Amino acid sequence: MISKSNTFEVYEESGKRRKSIFTKNLVPGKSVYGERLISQEGVEYREWNPDKSKICAAILKGCPDIKMRKGDTVLYLGAASGTTVSHVSDIVGESGFVFALDFAPRVVRDLVFLCETRENIAPMLEDANRPERYISRLSQADIIFQDIAQKSQVDIFLKNINLFLKKGGFAMLAVKSRSIDVTKNPREIFKRVREQLEKELIITDYRELEPFQKDHCLFICKKK
Amino acid sequence: MSKYIFANILGSFVFDEGFNLIDKGQVEDAENIAKRHTAVIPSDDEIKKILEFFKRKEFFAEFHKKNIELTKRQIRNSVSDDMLIIQAIGCIEDIDKAANTLIKRLREWYCLHNPEFSEKVSSNERFSELIIAKDRKELLKEISVPEESSMGAELGKGDVAQILLLAEHLKSLYILRKKQEEYIENIMKKVCPNLSIVAGHLIGAKLIEKAGGIKRLMEFPASTVQLLGAEKALFRHMRTGARAPKHGIIHKHPLISKSKRKEHGKIARALADKISIAVKIDYFKGEFIGDRLLLGLEERFSVK
Repeated sequence: MISKSNTFEVYEESGKRRKSIFTKNLVPGKSVYGERLISQEGVEYREWNPDKSKICAAILKGCPDIKMRKGDTVLYLGAASGTTVSHVSDIVGESGFVFALDFAPRVVRDLVFLCETRENIAPMLEDANRPERYISRLSQADIIFQDIAQKSQVDIFLKNINLFLKKGGFAMLAVKSRSIDVTKNPREIFKRVREQLEKELIITDYRELEPFQKDHCLFICKKK
Repeated sequence: MSKYIFANILGSFVFDEGFNLIDKGQVEDAENIAKRHTAVIPSDDEIKKILEFFKRKEFFAEFHKKNIELTKRQIRNSVSDDMLIIQAIGCIEDIDKAANTLIKRLREWYCLHNPEFSEKVSSNERFSELIIAKDRKELLKEISVPEESSMGAELGKGDVAQILLLAEHLKSLYILRKKQEEYIENIMKKVCPNLSIVAGHLIGAKLIEKAGGIKRLMEFPASTVQLLGAEKALFRHMRTGARAPKHGIIHKHPLISKSKRKEHGKIARALADKISIAVKIDYFKGEFIGDRLLLGLEERFSVK
């Protein structure tokens, strides 16, 4: 049985040893990256894989609210080939919209194929470090999610929040400690990131993503 | 009353002070619109207000369409010579892997028939060519092993034909590899003449592949070039303090592989330095000095 347990559009399957979560498929009949599809009472759900998606890992690690709601406009930095983006697109639904950005032509090629099947995603082949270059391609966002493996990921995050996030909007940052400094202990790096974020934002949630993603954590912040 | 003009992929828009839309036009009409209004270019804070205006359902379909169009164009234009190099060198590596697996199988299989010959010929390429060209009797004669003392079994015609079928395919795999190598040599000479002289065209192509493009290789410091391909050893060194690697891909360069072990580190440093210079010249389309760079290295570390 699949049931909804949150205020946001994520569903759970109960009665199993391992908890798995789902989003409502916006394009019924289509599986994006080979994930399992389950139909129940005429509604189709797509299984969300925590090994491939940091948001999913955070939910399974107990994050009570990922802040995304039906109808939200989301700016997704570091979309890659669109695995997680497809679930975000499910969550915001037809009335919402996702601006998905990545810098590598190879993965954006797959992203374009995804966008062609889903009307609520716009692909952008741009460098997240240069917002002035893609300012003409998007609108303001209710939510910003960032997952890019760059040394300067926190600066990029703050820059984009400043320009594109609405006042009081939420932003999520997935940090990969190994791309900041491999020699340091991940906890130490997460602490440093937290200090940097706290200067400008209010941190509402923090999750370490072990065992789904090694040396990763997710911050959820609110813009003042 | 000041008005703001803002252009994006949807078109040109003019807003009043309260950020209400008062005029709009297609992207191509930008000039006309600018003429019609005495509008100023918005500041950062004003741009944020304008971006808020665009967060409406009515614009989303257009954002979707225009962004796909633009992204497709960007992807099309992003294809460059270095991507061809990366694919071709990747292909050579794959061919090597596949050919190695298959030649092992071919030798194992053929050894049932004629183990002495397989033992004698160490070159895989020649081996696959020869067993196609001549039959068991002739080959045994060539290596002067009397037929009665051979450990190989006499196989039926159909069984031998099946083995030779695999040999045929391997032979064409070796020919394919040679052709890919020629192709890389040509394209490397055209795109980065300096790099292909200093590093050699195959090593040069591998460096480009590892870096992910000529531009990125150009931006790397020489120390990174020196260790490209030795990432595992490098990170082990940084994490656990194990001994630092001396070289990555460039260890196959004749200057390094033909020198004494003790000299490897020193030569790798100097070679990476010159490679780094060569790539920078190639990227900015400078003059050809690759031969002089290599000569300098060869004089310093004279190959005996």
